[in-house]
Amino acid sequence: MKNTLATTKSYSFKKFMNSNNTVGHIFAAPFIFGFICFSLIPILTSFYYSFTDYSLGSKEAVFVGIRNFAKLLTDEVFVKSLVVTLKYVFISVPLKLAFALFVAFLLTRKSRLVTVYRSLYYVPSLVGGSIAVALVWKQLFARKGLFNAVLTDMGLGTINWFGDETLALYPLILMSVWQFGSSMIIFAAGLKEIPVSYYEAAKIDGANGFQTFFKITLPCLSPIILYNLVMQTISAFMAFTQAFVITKGGPNNGTMMYALYVYNQAFKYNDMGYACAMSWVMLVVMSIITLVIFKTSKMWVFSEAGD
Amino acid sequence: MKKKLLAVLLSASMLLSLTACGGSTEQAAAPAQDAATEEVVPAEEAAAPAEEAAAPAEETAEPITLRMAWWGSQERHDRTVKVIEMYEAENPNVDIEYEFYSFDDYFTKLKTLVASDQVWDVFQLGGNFPEYMDKIYFMNEFIDSGVVNTEKISDAYLKITQDTAGNQIGLSNGLNTYGIAYDVDMFNAAGVPLPTSTWTWDDYADAARKIAEATGHYGSSCFANNDEFIAGCSTFIGQQGTVGQYGFFNLELTDLGFDDPNMLVPYIQMRADLIKEGASPDAGAAMEVTNIENDFLVTGEAAMAWIAVNQFPTIYDICKAEGRNLALATIPRATADGPAGSVIQSSQMLCVSQDSEHKEAAAAFISWFQNSTDCNSVLQGERGIPINSDVLATLKGNASEGQQIMYDYVDLVGTFETPEKINVLSPAGQDLVVDQYNTYMHQVAAGELTAEDAAQKTFDAAKDIFAQ
Repeated sequence: MKNTLATTKSYSFKKFMNSNNTVGHIFAAPFIFGFICFSLIPILTSFYYSFTDYSLGSKEAVFVGIRNFAKLLTDEVFVKSLVVTLKYVFISVPLKLAFALFVAFLLTRKSRLVTVYRSLYYVPSLVGGSIAVALVWKQLFARKGLFNAVLTDMGLGTINWFGDETLALYPLILMSVWQFGSSMIIFAAGLKEIPVSYYEAAKIDGANGFQTFFKITLPCLSPIILYNLVMQTISAFMAFTQAFVITKGGPNNGTMMYALYVYNQAFKYNDMGYACAMSWVMLVVMSIITLVIFKTSKMWVFSEAGD
Repeated sequence: MKKKLLAVLLSASMLLSLTACGGSTEQAAAPAQDAATEEVVPAEEAAAPAEEAAAPAEETAEPITLRMAWWGSQERHDRTVKVIEMYEAENPNVDIEYEFYSFDDYFTKLKTLVASDQVWDVFQLGGNFPEYMDKIYFMNEFIDSGVVNTEKISDAYLKITQDTAGNQIGLSNGLNTYGIAYDVDMFNAAGVPLPTSTWTWDDYADAARKIAEATGHYGSSCFANNDEFIAGCSTFIGQQGTVGQYGFFNLELTDLGFDDPNMLVPYIQMRADLIKEGASPDAGAAMEVTNIENDFLVTGEAAMAWIAVNQFPTIYDICKAEGRNLALATIPRATADGPAGSVIQSSQMLCVSQDSEHKEAAAAFISWFQNSTDCNSVLQGERGIPINSDVLATLKGNASEGQQIMYDYVDLVGTFETPEKINVLSPAGQDLVVDQYNTYMHQVAAGELTAEDAAQKTFDAAKDIFAQ
């Protein structure tokens, strides 16, 4: 009797271990652990802190209600950082996607060197977030940097890139556009998925290059464009490194990216509670914009199912 | 099917990136955790304290790991690393793990360490120490027990790093004061008279304009980091009225030391005008200066720069090597017969941390750092003029040209009439005011604000520190 129980037990344990559910959970455990510890818990704590006067040095956080959120409304720099960030997103994302699509399109042609080119164009994305590249960028656009040297040689006079509030954002935008690699790879994969038969049929019907691009390539690629658009928009909102390294937000807060201002409040001005409140406002802003993109996507994203 | 998959992919990736955003403020706190892993080897923690008293001298003593950090220029990093190696050679049981940063990064890192109770055993602080008071372990007991040797340090010099209750917050790395370093040849080339010890801000502005006109370079470099604020707000306010009548903050650090925002107007107007006219760098150009070694004065693109005088020998040598000739002038005054506004103060100090497992060993190191002639022969007073009289005598004995100018200058400033009590400290929250002040000043330069508005806004922002 006992014996049978033991066998059933070990049998059921074995069965339990071998079930898809268990295996799945075990393999997912590292991610779940990381997600809970390094994302979920900090997110919840930051939500709590946004209603307190917590600062890094202080050991306790005093509940202050919505004071932090109310303060945002009167904070000039906050408003400016929001405007600057929106400007950055609305200019850099479309440019970056257009450029990524263009290069991806060029690289679909059948050539043995295509993989080499693709890797080369991808490199800026790999090093893109790094301090080193931002420092190089700073030198390139400096008063006596490469670009101004070239301009002077052409007899055009120098441009004060980072000294002029209205100009300073553009080198940063350019740097983001330059890092088009990851969108390009996704576009390239998408382009490959489009059946060759469509193009052949179009050719037989006498369509020219522009027509095939706008009538076949773009519609077939629209789900991918949507994906890239959403991803790049979100990451553009979080841009930090360029502004932090190159301009520190200046001149006159003309490049004060939202993430940089959050960082300053949290670590420089020692007001973590306020910084948390700002983060949550950003979450709401980003969610709204993402939602708008999804809602409008019905009008331009083509699906093969035809609904 | 494809569409469904894409939708899932989309929402998953969105969730990820959104959460990444929400968590971003928390993420940055992560570096603090690095420090935790570097923590001292646990085994000896329990046994060590009793033996530490004699530790530095004994070869057989328990191994001790001290963590130390400072901010500064490359010159300082090189010299400090060298003396740390010397100390480790003399005390084989002590292992010092060091980190160095630029000024801003140092305090960002320090704030994360404060939050996680992991402040370095030995750390450097300046006039902004009140913000970190909770993390400072007073050195009184080490001075009493003789671990810290103060024989050759006068009481007056010990006092500059004491709080009002007489607690020894740290040992000063040296004395310091501000000055204007200038390029003699550029002054002469532009036909501008050299600064005198009673020159005024008007003379300064005139010189800057004329030099800019004559040479095409900046008349005066930017005032890096917090220095525009120190020059403009702290010093300029201190120069008003009679000696000691005004200060930007009051002596108790509980409120501002002046009531009339308009007192700031002339300075803001003058600096903004210089920037607008191209006689001083604009915000973009100012970003190119990351430390004193690439200041426009040093690169030959400006005739004057506001410096802390401990930086002078370094830049003097660099310029000398290029055949250029630097000199030091006193800070311009508001009026020629008014207060000088400059004061000799502690440049910075080394403190023992409350979080330290080896407070005594840390104090012993600090004592050696300030008192050892060998050590200071390497450091060469780069952090300020040494407070130990023997060390100072040795250094003065073989001073380089640049150092001699610095010593003479400090002696000169020492003859100025100074108020009995002066506040050179900065309250917590000053960083925000400094940034706001700089923004307002550049807005004046850009014509977006009047100097009066900028002064009022700066005043209000500073008042806010004490409002809460």
